[in-house]
Parts: sequence; C-alpha cells; structure tokens
Amino acid sequence: MDITIVQGPGSAAARVMLQAGEGITTEGGAMIAMSSALHVETTTRKRDSGSIMGALKRLVTGESIFLNHYTAHGRAGEVYLAPTLPGDMLHHEIDGVPLLVQAGSYVASAPSVEMDIRWQGFGKAMFSGESAFLIELSGQGPVVLSSFGAIYPIVVEGEHIVDTGHIVAFESTLKYQVVKAGGSWITAIAGGEGLVCKFQGNGTVWCQSHNAGSFGQALGPLLKPR
Amino acid sequence: MQIHIHRNGANEGPYSPEQVRQMLAAGHLQPQDLAFHAGLASWTTLAALMGELAAATPPQAAAADNRDMEYQVECRPDFAFLTVHIPGGQTLKVEASAMATMSTNLRMKTKVRGGLSRFLTGESLFLNEFTAEGGPGEIGIAPGSPGDLEHVYLDGNTIFLQSSGFVASGMGVQVDSKWQGFKGFFSGESLFLIRCSGKGDLWFNTFGAMIPVDVTGDYVVDTGHIVAFTEGLEYEIGKLGGLKSLFFSGEGLVCRFRGEGRVWIQTRQLPSFAWWTYPFRPTKN
Repeated sequence: MDITIVQGPGSAAARVMLQAGEGITTEGGAMIAMSSALHVETTTRKRDSGSIMGALKRLVTGESIFLNHYTAHGRAGEVYLAPTLPGDMLHHEIDGVPLLVQAGSYVASAPSVEMDIRWQGFGKAMFSGESAFLIELSGQGPVVLSSFGAIYPIVVEGEHIVDTGHIVAFESTLKYQVVKAGGSWITAIAGGEGLVCKFQGNGTVWCQSHNAGSFGQALGPLLKPR
Repeated sequence: MQIHIHRNGANEGPYSPEQVRQMLAAGHLQPQDLAFHAGLASWTTLAALMGELAAATPPQAAAADNRDMEYQVECRPDFAFLTVHIPGGQTLKVEASAMATMSTNLRMKTKVRGGLSRFLTGESLFLNEFTAEGGPGEIGIAPGSPGDLEHVYLDGNTIFLQSSGFVASGMGVQVDSKWQGFKGFFSGESLFLIRCSGKGDLWFNTFGAMIPVDVTGDYVVDTGHIVAFTEGLEYEIGKLGGLKSLFFSGEGLVCRFRGEGRVWIQTRQLPSFAWWTYPFRPTKN
C-alpha cells in the first residue's frame, strides 16, 4: 500500500495505491474517485471483527455508523479520499503505539489496524464541548487523518496544553486531562478558552490550525434560519 | 520516473516529476531537499534534478501548454486567480461577474448565449466579452468559489464541464449546454453539462484542488467531484457497490467513465460544505 497526500495544506486529498490483495477501510463518504476494479463493501464495523456494538459505539461518537472497505481483488487500483472541510491530511504509520483520534478526523486505516472507541470518561466528556469519545487505532499499519486547516505536530516532553477543539490525534503514551483554562471558571469562560486538554508524559500531539466548531459558530448567525 | 524525497528527517513519496514540480512551485518542497530515483548512485538535491524534471514532463502536459493568449494562474490550488493578456483587437469570453481587475482599454459587452439552454444549466445566462481596443489589455479573473483553475487548449477536440465550471475562453471556442438526459436524474447533481468545442484557450475552475486523472479502461468518480472530462469517454451514473452501499456508504451515486481520455476531479465539493453549516444555522423563533 502506498499513500500520498496531495494538494495540501488547503485542499488535501489522499491517494491510496492498493496492490492486488490489499484493502483499506474508510469513513463513509470519504471516497472521491477510484479505479473501478476495486471491490466496495459497506459494513457497520471493521471487517471480519466486532459486533453490532461497534455500530452503536460509532453512532455515539457522532461519526457515520458505516465504514466502507475497498479491496483490490486480482489487480492493483487506487482510491482518492478527502474530507468535507478545507484543510490538510496526515498519513501516519502506527507501529505498536496506539493513536487516539478525535472522531471527526478519522479518514481511513489499513485492515491490520484495530479500531475501538474510547470513552473520554465522565468528567472529561461532559465539559470538553467536543465529542465525548475518541477513536483508538492500534496494531500496525498506515492510517489517514484529516484536519480543519493545517496540521502541526507538537512533541510533548513533560506537560503541554492544547485547546480541545484543536486536537487531531495523540499518541497513547500521553496521559490527558481536561481542565479549565486559567485558574478560575471566570477566567476560563471570559477568556473564551473554556476547557483545554492537558497532556502529560512523552509523545506527539497533532494539532489543527483551526477549530471547525468556532468557524461554524462564526458562520451560523450569517445564515438563514432553518 | 518515481522520485523519493528526504527532508526534515523523513522519507516522502515517491512522486511523479509532475507532482514534484507542482510541490516545488507551491513551496511544499524546497530546492535543497534531498531526492533520489532509480538510476542515481546516491541522494542528491532537487536543485540538481531540475533539468531532468523538466525533461520528464509528459508530452500531454507539454501539448496543454499551447495557447493563443498569454496567461498566468497564481495562488493554486486554494485561491487560484487568472490573469489573461488580451492582444489588441482580440476578445475573451468570461463568466459573468468573474472579472476582478482590468485595463481601461478593455470594452465589455454582455452576450446572451444559447438562450434558454444556458439559463437551464444553472450557469449564469450571460457571458461577458472583453475586447482590447487600441492595443493589448490585461484582465484579472476570480471565480466565485475559492479553488483551483486549469487551462486546456482545444484544437478540434471537445471537453464537457460541470455546469458551474466555466471561467473563460477564446472566441474560437463554442460554449453550449448539453442535455445529459436521464442518466443524471437521480444523481442530485446538476442535470446539465457545458460542452466546449472548437479551437482556442479554455479555463475552468473547481472548489478545492483539481486532480487530473488519465483514464484507460474504467474509472469511478463521485458525481459531486467531477469537474470536466474529454469527449470520447463513455459515462454512466450508477451506484457504488451493493444495495447496502447505495444507502449507507455515504457515497451517493458515482459516475463510471469508460474508454480513453482525461477526467479532472475536485478534492472538495460545495454542497457537502453547505450541508456542514446546517447545524450552525439559527433556528426560527
């Protein structure tokens, strides 16, 4: 499998070249074009595993419940994947260290990569304002993620704070805690920062330059009522 | 030729020479980045490969460099902006309201083209014609959506554009809408395509970046991501995968192209983006 990110950072697409016998699992709706030789299958879970719980879990993450599996039977083929919003994409190879991904950023993963839903925990979820769930990708193999705006990695050694709306993904070697920005609720709310994620340990956090929720809130009042 | 890149301590690619040229032009790669391809003894800099890269540009792309009028496209692929230099006495057809700047000696005439059929394409009814009087003139053209822009030189061949794709063309290019028939009926996309034929320059645009795909045999494109395709390709709207995929894949309907030709696809689409804003809209009362 060969993955190339093209046309980043503003309008990125991922070109996935599959050799005969290879396949890739994608978020529903991510395919923009492909070789017609590829076989497509739609399921509610990772291929050959999981249960109906997988679908229920996906439902609560706010993700599409359905996953598409593209397989090159007999001969090689390519598929182009892209997200809805303007922004960049990231190709990352998982090699033992699981990756925790913000639900809206998942685009695709190799069949050798395990997918699970991880609940952020009651306290963390209730106040973070983001999806209460993260997608955990583990095992080995390539994954493709997307961001709203550009993606930049931050290598954490010790501690670092990232606004919850700017997290794309992070390595599971990092412990995280959702905390108030500033010392008190007044500064957290008046400062417009609300809640932030405090990472501890050693590992990489991939951040997105822009927060899709903030953009939506800026745009909303200008649109016709629904 | 496949080119491997090494920079910031990591390997990237391999890329085609054309991709490398584009990435260099866009600033995503730097001349001092290390590069390697089969046949080289060791890694070298991209700067040392410039000559080879130019020589490896496919002949099709070279043919596309034919032009009647000089032009530049800047700020690709996110905010493409077209500047065309119109020789004295010559005329350029431009999508209505796309003119951003122009020389004072350009005279604008509004033409109704194709009557009702153009009205039905959803494309504006009018194309404006800009004529350079008493000497050459320059016009800056900005399509309505941010995105990419492509130039093709027509020489007797024909290209179909999705209904909002037309930007500008020379006077030798005939611009007609073509009834797509029932094939497109269930696609939820516009039913119409614009047929561009004749001889001369043609520019068209996208929302998001543009990727040209050379089709030999079969290729599938999500209907919302088709920008343009060459005549001669057969196309058919259909579903993706099995019945379950039709309803649940999130992919809607796709267009299957068959034969030999080129399809230009866009990496984003406006309707999906518009839908994304839905939950942010205020509610009535």
